[in-house]
This record gives sequence, C-alpha cells and structure tokens, in this order.
Amino acid sequence: MSVIEATAQISTATEPRLRWRSFLSHRSGLIGASMLIVAILAAVFAPWIAPYDPYAPVVGLTPDDIFQAPSPQHLLGTDDGGKDVLSSLIYGARVSLLVGFTAAAIAILIGALIGLVAGYQRGWFGSLLMRITDIFLVIPDLALMIVLVAILGPSLRTIIIVIGILGWTGTARLVRAQTLSVRERKYVMRAKAVGAGDMHVLRKHILPAVLPLMLANMVLVVSLAILDESSLAFLGLGDPTVISWGQMLNFAFDRGAISAGAWWALLSPGFAIVWVVLGTTLLGTALEDAVNPRLKRHHLESPGSDVARVGTVAPPPPVAAGLEEPILRVRDLAIEFDSDGGPLRAVDGVSFDLRRGETLGLVGESGCGKTTTVLGIMRLLPPGGRIVEGSVWFDGDDLVGLDGPTLRSFRWTRLSLVFQGAMNALNPVRSVGDQISEAIRLHAPSTSKQQAARRAGELLDRVGIPARRAREYPHTYSGGMRQRAMIALALACDPDVIVADEPTTALDVMIQAQILELLGGIARDFGMGIILVTHDLGVVAQVCDRVVVMYGGVVAEENDAATLYREPQHPYTQQLLQSFPDVAHPDRPLRGIPGSPPRLGAMPPGCRFAPRCPHAFDRCNAERPPEYEAAGGRASCFLLDPTEARP
Amino acid sequence: MSQRGGYLLRKVGWALVTLAVVITLNFLLFRILPGDPATAGVRDPRLNQAAIEDLRARFGLDKPVILNLEGGNPFDTQFTAYLAALARGDLGTSFAYRDRDVSELLGEALVNTLWLILPAEFFAIVFGVALGLFAAWRRGRTADVASVTFSLFMWALPIFFLGIILLIAGVTWFDLPVAGRLTIGAEYASLADLAWDVGRHLLLPTLTLGLALLGEYMLIMRSSVLEIFGEDYILTARAKGLSTYRIIRHHALRNAMLPMVTLIALTLGFTVAGAIQVEAVFSWPGLGSLTVNAVSDRDYPVLQGAFLLLAVSVIVANLAAEVVYGWLDPRVVED
Repeated sequence: MSVIEATAQISTATEPRLRWRSFLSHRSGLIGASMLIVAILAAVFAPWIAPYDPYAPVVGLTPDDIFQAPSPQHLLGTDDGGKDVLSSLIYGARVSLLVGFTAAAIAILIGALIGLVAGYQRGWFGSLLMRITDIFLVIPDLALMIVLVAILGPSLRTIIIVIGILGWTGTARLVRAQTLSVRERKYVMRAKAVGAGDMHVLRKHILPAVLPLMLANMVLVVSLAILDESSLAFLGLGDPTVISWGQMLNFAFDRGAISAGAWWALLSPGFAIVWVVLGTTLLGTALEDAVNPRLKRHHLESPGSDVARVGTVAPPPPVAAGLEEPILRVRDLAIEFDSDGGPLRAVDGVSFDLRRGETLGLVGESGCGKTTTVLGIMRLLPPGGRIVEGSVWFDGDDLVGLDGPTLRSFRWTRLSLVFQGAMNALNPVRSVGDQISEAIRLHAPSTSKQQAARRAGELLDRVGIPARRAREYPHTYSGGMRQRAMIALALACDPDVIVADEPTTALDVMIQAQILELLGGIARDFGMGIILVTHDLGVVAQVCDRVVVMYGGVVAEENDAATLYREPQHPYTQQLLQSFPDVAHPDRPLRGIPGSPPRLGAMPPGCRFAPRCPHAFDRCNAERPPEYEAAGGRASCFLLDPTEARP
Repeated sequence: MSQRGGYLLRKVGWALVTLAVVITLNFLLFRILPGDPATAGVRDPRLNQAAIEDLRARFGLDKPVILNLEGGNPFDTQFTAYLAALARGDLGTSFAYRDRDVSELLGEALVNTLWLILPAEFFAIVFGVALGLFAAWRRGRTADVASVTFSLFMWALPIFFLGIILLIAGVTWFDLPVAGRLTIGAEYASLADLAWDVGRHLLLPTLTLGLALLGEYMLIMRSSVLEIFGEDYILTARAKGLSTYRIIRHHALRNAMLPMVTLIALTLGFTVAGAIQVEAVFSWPGLGSLTVNAVSDRDYPVLQGAFLLLAVSVIVANLAAEVVYGWLDPRVVED
C-alpha cells in the first residue's frame, strides 16, 4: 500500500465491477453514449429518415448534378455520382456500425478465450498462447488486413472476419492479466482447496471479475474496428456493393472533390466517423473508469496548499527553568481531508513535545491518525489533506507557517523520514548510493561528487551494508537492507529529528530487532530525536523513552514508557496492552479489543473510545473529555476527573 | 554484465522466432490465393510467357508445398525454394513495373517512408512527452482537460481524414503542393532549391502523421507520469527537500519514460498503419503507396514483399526498443 492509499482515505483494492453511480456521474460517458445512440437510431431508421435512397440507380445524370453545393434540396450537397450526401451518410451508419459491432464481437470472443486459458492454465499451453499473442501484437495489423482482404476479395463478410480475427490481442492481454490476479485471490484459492472444479471456479469467480472489464474493453474495440473498416474502404478495399463512410471518402477523394472544392463531400463522411469513434471512446473510457477507478491524487499537485490555517499562532510558553527546551513542540494540530461529503477531520488537536536524544513512540491501531500526524508535521500531506489548526514548533520556527523554499532547506538537514515498508521508498532506477549523495549535495552544494559518494558509503557501512553496494540498485537489496539503506539516507544530512513511520512492518522478527537496535543506537550516538510510529507495543517497549497513544485522531494518553506499561490510565491503553503478548507475564491471556476504530465520517460525539469502552457512562457519550494529569503523564478520560464518583 | 547479456539474448531470440512466424505466414498467405501464383498472374495481359515460365521456375510450382512425402529429398519443396530465394534477397519481379526487381522497388520506397516517419516520430515523441508530463502535473486543471480533449479528438480522427483536412487547408491557404515528393518537371538551380521543394512536399504528410501519433503518445505519457507521481519514492524526494522541477527531472522523468519506450514500440504497428494512410492521401511514393498500388494492380510479388518488409521493420524497431529499455531499467535482469 502506498502512502497516498494509506492516508488519503481512498481505496483502490476493490473488485472490478461496474459502478453505475460512478458511471452516471461521468458527464463525458453520458455524452459518448448519446452520440452513439444517435448513430444507432440513424442506422436503424435510415429508410424513413433519409430524404433519398442512395441505392436507387441514378437516371438522367447531368454534369450539373455532380458535386452540388449544399442547398435546401440537398442539405449536405451531392457527391461525385450526383447522389445526396446526407442520405448516403445516414445509410453509411448501417455499414460502419455493423462492421464495428460484429468484428468487435469476434475479436472479444477470441481474445477472451485465449486470455482466460492463458491466465488460468499456467502450464506450457498457457504460456504458448501468450507468446502467440505477443507475436501477433508485433505484426502491423493494417498491412496484414490489406493483404488478406486483397487476397480474399473485399466482401463485407470478409472485411468483418479479417478485422475480427486480427483485433483480439489487446483483449487477450487484458483478460489474462485480470484472470491471473483473480485466481491468486484467497476466496478462489479456498474454493479450489475444497475441491471446486475448474469450470465452477471459472464461472463463479473468474468470469464475474473479468466481465465488467471486458464490457469497457468491448466499446473500445468497437471504435477500433470502425476505424479499421474506414481505413480499408478509403484505401479502396471496401465492399463495392455497400455504402460506407470510408467508401464515400474514397470515391470523393479519388474523383476530384478537392480540386472541385467540394469540401462537403469529404467533410461529411469524415466527421461522421469522428462522431461515432469519439462517442464510443468517451463511453469506453468512462466505463473503464467506473469499473476500475484510478487513484486521482499524486504527490506533486499544487504545492503549498497543504495549510489552511487562519492567522499566526503564538509559540508555546518556555518549559520550566533548568529543563532543556524540546526540539519539536506540536500544538493543537488538526488535519482535514477532502472527501465527496465535505472535509473529514483525520487529526483533531494533537499536542506533544520531543527532546533531543529522546525516542518517542506514537502508537495506536491503524486508521487512528498516526501517519497523518507525522506527515502533517513534515508538511508532506498527500493532496487533499491540509493543516487547518495548530502549529509545529521546531527549534523556535513554526513549520506550519514556512514558505516553500525555507521549508525545502529545513527538510532532511533538520528533519528526515524513514517510512512504511520502504519497498517503494527508494527510486528503482537510481543506485542507492546515488540517492544518498543527492541529498548530501543538495543541502551542501560545495561537496564534491567523490566526497558525497564516500560519505554515502560510510553511512551505508554505519547501518551494516558494505560500502561497495552503494553502486547497486534497490531491487538487489533484501527488504531489511532496503530499510537500513533508508535509515542511512535519513542520516545523510545529520538531522536533529528522524521520523520513522512503521519502519519494521513487513519485516521478519529477526530483521525487526536489528532495525530497532540500529535506531536506538543512532538516537544514542548522534543525539537525535526520533519519533517512532507503530502499532506494535512490543517495539515501543524495546526502544522508546516516552509514548503517545492516539485514538480516533486525538491523543488518548501520554507518559514515559515505563510508567505507561506499569500504570496505563486510559481504558484504551489498558486494552491495547492486553492485546499484546507480555514477555514478563507469558501466561496472561491475550484479549483483542472488540469492535473497530471509528471511521472518519462517523466520529462519536463525545469520547471517541466510548462505544468500545467497558467503563463508558453517560457523560462519555455526550462530551469530549479534556486532558487530566495522572501518574505523571496525561490522559483524556472522564474516569480521571476528580469530581466524578469512581464507578 | 552477463545477466544483461542474457536478457538481450532472450529478446533477440524472440525477435527471431517472430521473424520466422512472419516469414512462414507471408509464404502461406500467398498460397491461399485462388489458383497458383503464376496462373493468377496469367490473367494479367501484361505478363508474357517468359515471365510466367520465370515465375513457375522461381516458385517451383511443380513441387509440393511444405513437405515432400513422395520420396527423394523431403525438403525439396516450394517452401524451401521460397526460403532460398529470400536468403538471396530475391523477392521476385514486379507484375506491374515490368523488369523491376521487387527488392529494388522496396528499397526506394523504404527510404521515402523513413523520410516521412522519422521526423513525424521525432515531433510526436518530443511534444507528446512534454504535453503528457505537463498535463499530468496540472491534473484536473484547464491545461490538462484541454490536452486530453485534444488527444481524444486526434484519436477519433481517422488518419487519412486528418490528412485530407490538412491537405485542404494547406492547398487553400498556404499554397502547398497537393501530392508527390517533388514538383513534376521542376528544374533546380541549387541543392537548397531542391531541399526547399522536398520540404514543402514533406510538410503536410509529416505533420499529419506527427499529430496522429502525438495524441497517442501524450495519453500514454500522461497516465505513466500520473502513476509515478503517486509513488512513495516521489514522497521521499519531496521529503529530501528537492524542488518540484528537480523531482520531475531526476526522479519522475526516467521512470515515466520506461513504459513509454515499450509502448512506443508496441504502437509501431499504428505508425505503419498511419504511414500507409498518409502516403495514400499525399501520393507519397513510399511503402504504403506501393502496397496500395500493388493491391489495385494485383501485383502480388510486390504486395508480398511490402508486407514482409513492413513486418520485419516493426520487429527490428521493437527489438531496438527492448534494447533501449534494458539499458534504461536496471531491473530487467529480474524477469
């Protein structure tokens, strides 16, 4: 899962199916459908709409009848044979659509069959089919169509069959890819494991997932077939006994329409083709989008719009004399995301401090706003997300108020990031060392290439990767090595604070321990502050000095790590601790927390944990609890209110 | 690097397999003609007896088609005769242009087609990449919507029709020549005059093909860039403090160009189709015109040779794209 998918509340990993609501909201799709319907109506009702019969023999033709300009008798003028262009145009829709739909049906049938077999049967036969598809993909199809039609003779049936049997490659590839992905899904595996036959799996599981995509693909194949037919007809390979738009263009063009200035005889059939192809293309892309919605966001959209805070904010009062001033002070941070139903608040009033050399754990279940909080602090929110309230004081500067260039100079030299999984966090086409040197030379331009490369090697060495591997690309590294390389990258410019977002997820336990040890060692050796975002309390116990527990976008509890584990104050913290194995008490039963964290659109009005809390009472459902000091830390729970009678 | 060598070897191997399929197909296609190739030609009054004898001998029509099962050398067949002739570069003699070798005709036409395709491809790739990148960056804004609309419209326009529109416009308003490669009967005082005349003839066909390809490439580039811009490593680059320009230049462009290389190779068939149509509209004496004329003249040797040359060109260009891809993407050794 990419960072955008993880934070921006967009899900793309759903089954392909036709979402009618989504399709109907596509204006372009509706326009395309109407364009196509107009053409179909013209084709069906041609004898009733067309003012003349273009198939009737012309009698008594005089030179004046040829290439007549548009007039009330001939709305689109006449052609090289003295025939009414409008009537031919209306009848021509029949041929274009007939060829388009029947040829597409043949192409889809062959393509789907080959794609299904190649995707489902993964033995030699399947791969042979795919190789054949690849070969056909390379053969220039219009050239082959010309040869085939020239040899077999240009009858309408031949044209349809030739276009149909040469148009299947795209469909085959699409269906194969979809079949492959569906057959790896858990429910299909399960169905096969309990003995479901191949036909059953194909009919019940594969086809329902493949059909919607094929529908969208079908519309695009129709437009291709119509284009192919018109090209063949224009090149003189149309069926001479029927009128098609390509044929009309061929005759008009070959018989001097340009020198006669008869633009109507050329433009009318040409734009008729454009009309139908544009209609089917618009419809097809809208269907594709409704079946397979794409991610609509990326990281480089409208930079600078991630802050929508009104006015400036005063810095927090200094800490008590004699204590070290924290390097990072987050105050009342609130972050919203755009959604179809208006802005959703993902983080609501988060505050905490971080000192130099301190490791702070930010914990909670997935979806509680941890990642969003740290991306907000770093001003790296994905598009659609913005800081609406609060401030982030970094060594006296409010990061929320910084402009682009100042922020860029802040990045990596003061504040760097190691993020989730790191599988895709390194650019696959640049060497690891190169990506580290880039950061060094960006922030210290006087560094020579050799110096930067040497330093990159040293940094890799520091995280346990041989310096010579700096020249290699990320795909040659194992998952754990990539994560360590990412840590080396984060250290490149000696930052004051490193944010590590789930640095050990997706790694096995041994590697996890190595990475955590590495991070702990770095905090000690370099005196850096580290924010460790994780849902794993075991990880926190191992390396963190302080812990901030988040729930539903707010801080539930904060305390130093030892006290938090010993005396959890908030019922959420208590339950979270019970749901993790405790090495000190291996016989204690593990208990998950019933229910799930609240969704962004449906936050409880009072305490966010109230619906899942065993101790909740009336006030919890009505009011948001303030923070109470307890056990040397703070927690937001009415149970800690001294005026409440303890239940 | 031996792994990369293996990748190249595999790609060359597949190109050879594809080539073998195309050569066989090309042989078989012209055997499904009604009658045999020689008698199909006999109906053409331009063919004299000597030419028919030549044909029979060259095609070896008294021999079995693919495999000789009646004793003797099992490979003494029409197919091996065809392969042997092909190996000598002998593609036969044209029916329509008497006494002219097909390979000679094809050579001249190929040069003319390259004059048309290369500038058009260059134009389309440069502007398609730039426009696609810009549209992706300005996603959902006016510039993006305008470029996507333009590309969809270009896609919906049959290439020959785009050519006709440009032809009408060019002839009417810019006094450009209607057809051909040179002004017929013109005398040139200098090489510059000749270049100017060829350039004027080349402008419209190149522009037609270039615009048609541009729409295609722009859409491919746009969706490729959109995907890359959503990747985590772009977020890493932003976190490092790189400016948007540097992120695009150093982290997005090369990655987005990778699928472009493959897709440009995959759309080469589209380029060939485009060239055939453009040549037909502007009477440009290239492979497309040669093919279309061969169809109306029933000049099968030329048709057969032209199809083979077109298919082989696409295979070679495809292989070239694979090589470029292997050089651009360090990950290729994995597949």
